[in-house]
Amino acid sequence: MSEPRALVEHFFRHESGRIVALLTRSMGVRRLAMVEDVVQSALVQALETWSRRGVPDDPAGWLYRTARNLAIDAIRRERALAQALPRLVEGADCESSPVDPHFEDEIGDEPLRLLFVCCHDAVPAESRIALALRTLCGFSTAEIARALLTTEANVQKRVQRARDRLRELDVGFETPAPAELRARLDAVLSVIYLLFSQGCHATHGEVPIRRDLCDEARRLARMLAAHPIGEVPAVHALLALMGFHAARFLARLDSDGTIVLLEAQNRAAWDWSEIREAMEWLARSAIGDELTRYHVEAGIAWEHCRAPSFAQTDWNRVVELYEILDQIAPSPLTTLNRAVAVSYLLGPRAGLDRLESIPPESVPARYPGWPAVIGELNFRLGRFADAERAWREALRGTTTRADREFLARRLDLCRSG
Amino acid sequence: MPKYLLLARNSTEPKAPPSPEEMQALGAAWGAWMSKFRSAIVTGGDGLQPGGRVIKDGIVTDGPYVEAKEVIISFTLLQADDIEAALAIARECPGGLCFELRELAGYA
Repeated sequence: MSEPRALVEHFFRHESGRIVALLTRSMGVRRLAMVEDVVQSALVQALETWSRRGVPDDPAGWLYRTARNLAIDAIRRERALAQALPRLVEGADCESSPVDPHFEDEIGDEPLRLLFVCCHDAVPAESRIALALRTLCGFSTAEIARALLTTEANVQKRVQRARDRLRELDVGFETPAPAELRARLDAVLSVIYLLFSQGCHATHGEVPIRRDLCDEARRLARMLAAHPIGEVPAVHALLALMGFHAARFLARLDSDGTIVLLEAQNRAAWDWSEIREAMEWLARSAIGDELTRYHVEAGIAWEHCRAPSFAQTDWNRVVELYEILDQIAPSPLTTLNRAVAVSYLLGPRAGLDRLESIPPESVPARYPGWPAVIGELNFRLGRFADAERAWREALRGTTTRADREFLARRLDLCRSG
Repeated sequence: MPKYLLLARNSTEPKAPPSPEEMQALGAAWGAWMSKFRSAIVTGGDGLQPGGRVIKDGIVTDGPYVEAKEVIISFTLLQADDIEAALAIARECPGGLCFELRELAGYA
């Protein structure tokens, strides 16, 4: 018997998503809210029981059985109520055999399947991703708010709207035709991409890279690529993008867990078998004439992997790719990264000019990466007071230990510089 | 060594449920607390299921008390040299709960 803390990292997060997916499959999507409630209750029970009596031999099975029993109880109560109120039982057959979301060309993987359900086109677009991150990926409201650059209140509203909408869809949850599945693919890819991004640069907690989130994102994408619906260039490009980033994970952290910037990374420590696999995905993604943001971002990541040293990076090409990215998927993050690339091509002054020309209302609030870059560019210009001011602002907004330590080191440089 | 009853109360205010990961972190903190004070924690404590009955003047009503701001959610028996020592243990208990610490009278 192990202590609860000896459980693998983020076991609850993984298991809750998996159990929600499994139970939703047998209980029906319109019971999603109930399923989420019982899984939450099962986690609470685990917390209390395991704290006192130790972790059971099969914690995942324990959680699943507890959640399933709670769900059965809830359905029994539902039925007892229905029997007490005969007028409400019209359609009781449907009650007892919930309509299963069923995909043509069955998607075998439960989490992936529920991901497609969360991305139902009747759910408002901005709510789909929030719901999927919350329900399947176990993200907290604060993490989703960070990932989507919005407020926690907004996230809560979006998740609620998505749940309401799925409940309203009710029994007639029809079999989505392949065309509909294809229509949901974009949102599904966004979720996988955000899951991976959150793993690459965790915004909460003690560890800056969460391999578990990245691995799950890549697993989902591989499952998708193996399915007829997902055999499209965008999926291959996303897999390439994730592979290029994953190849650099080990080099991104030093021995005490602090972030190592790309320019200081030991390129020999990159995982070349990952890079080779990512190149194969990239080659497959080039079939056809579809160009997605994942293609462009994979191209950028490839440019970095390809360069023998930081100084030898083809910044011309990188800037060019960011400009394309800005056109097909404009976002404050793209603007920021593009300014960084420009600063290496034309100098820090040019990068800073780019950022300073952005109207303040377009600068994402509560995003510490922005002032962190402003600080970096000022530092390179030798404007240490400005750099310090910006880095202090970034430090106030950071939520992870690794980021705090990284910024603290930069601030030390400012003082000694 | 005197024994103490440590009652944990939690607010009944509705709040956003923690994410699974936050729950796991809390579980780890609880586990760490329980193992750190293993020798002081007497077997028999437990968490409490929600719901229950309230009996007053022979009249039974459903508990816990909807009007209450806090409900008892768990109890733990501690043995410690004195109330200060027991208090030190309770202070380290995770979860941001409200605690009540009472010495057992020793009648039983």
